[in-house]
Amino acid sequence: MIIQFNGLEETVPRGVTISQLIELFKEGDPHVIVEQNGRYIYPKDYDTCMVMENDRIEFINPNLGG
Amino acid sequence: MPLDDSQRYSRQIQLPEINVKGQEKLSRSTVLIAGAGGLGSLSALYLTAAGVGHVIIVDHDQVELSNLNRQLLHRESSIGRPKALSAAESLGRLNSSIQITPVQATLDQGNIDDLLKGVDLIVDGCDNYQTRQVINRACLSHGLPWIFGGVRGFNGMATSFVPGSFTCFECIIPDPEKSEPGQLNPIQGILGPTAGIIASIQAIEAVKLLVGMGSSLVNRLMHLSGLDMRITTSALTPNPDCRVCNPVRKKRTQKNDHPV
Repeated sequence: MIIQFNGLEETVPRGVTISQLIELFKEGDPHVIVEQNGRYIYPKDYDTCMVMENDRIEFINPNLGG
Repeated sequence: MPLDDSQRYSRQIQLPEINVKGQEKLSRSTVLIAGAGGLGSLSALYLTAAGVGHVIIVDHDQVELSNLNRQLLHRESSIGRPKALSAAESLGRLNSSIQITPVQATLDQGNIDDLLKGVDLIVDGCDNYQTRQVINRACLSHGLPWIFGGVRGFNGMATSFVPGSFTCFECIIPDPEKSEPGQLNPIQGILGPTAGIIASIQAIEAVKLLVGMGSSLVNRLMHLSGLDMRITTSALTPNPDCRVCNPVRKKRTQKNDHPV
């Protein structure tokens, strides 16, 4: 299925969770913030939160510099 | 309002959302800017220029040459001087009608309660998690709003926390030291305008919250991806597992005070 990932169209397997998406895209930052369709997703929900066709997913690496 | 100030602020007084009443609110306000670095430089300049009546700028550090690509309050002649003093001098040259207080200190649990006396709002210009944690907890305790900003490379993020927010800073940004001890605060590259964009957003948020207009970033996290120039905002939802803001929320609800 097709999703919008960080602003780009990507094809991912159907039925993936946020956790699996993190593995699929080899996101190495343990503090990554995940946004699904404009909504902040808490890490405790990554295993159960399903990614659906046409979802807009953003992986955001926290920026803490000033 | 003195005549010269009417001229100085005329372009923002022309805005119906601000007008003379809003300008007077700004002039009666006290803002603490935590850090005189890349973020604090720009937010301090804009809030000083906008006529916030009292700007307190806190920083423990000295100006270095490597700061000058983004920390626009400082000059080559300031290298080696305390940032708080250098910042206050620059701000004073921009607007002599307001009060500017430099504080040469590290903002920590030991001094934050004193420093927040009389403060209406805090603008984050920190470069580390721990100081933001101190600000977050103090603001929850005192019921004060604060505006988070963080930058790295070409990217940045910002949001506003006010009494009544769904979340606090520690709900949405986990402590990096907990999972990767010792990996915190390495020297990071940054393009100056990245800090400028985020600090400008923080300054807009501050003015809106002080005047009481518009809709702010409360309950929304804004992210700038500068390399591909995308800005996204995500809706924040309550975190029932937060050990920091949930007890405060419960305490306030029990007191029949404003829920946090």
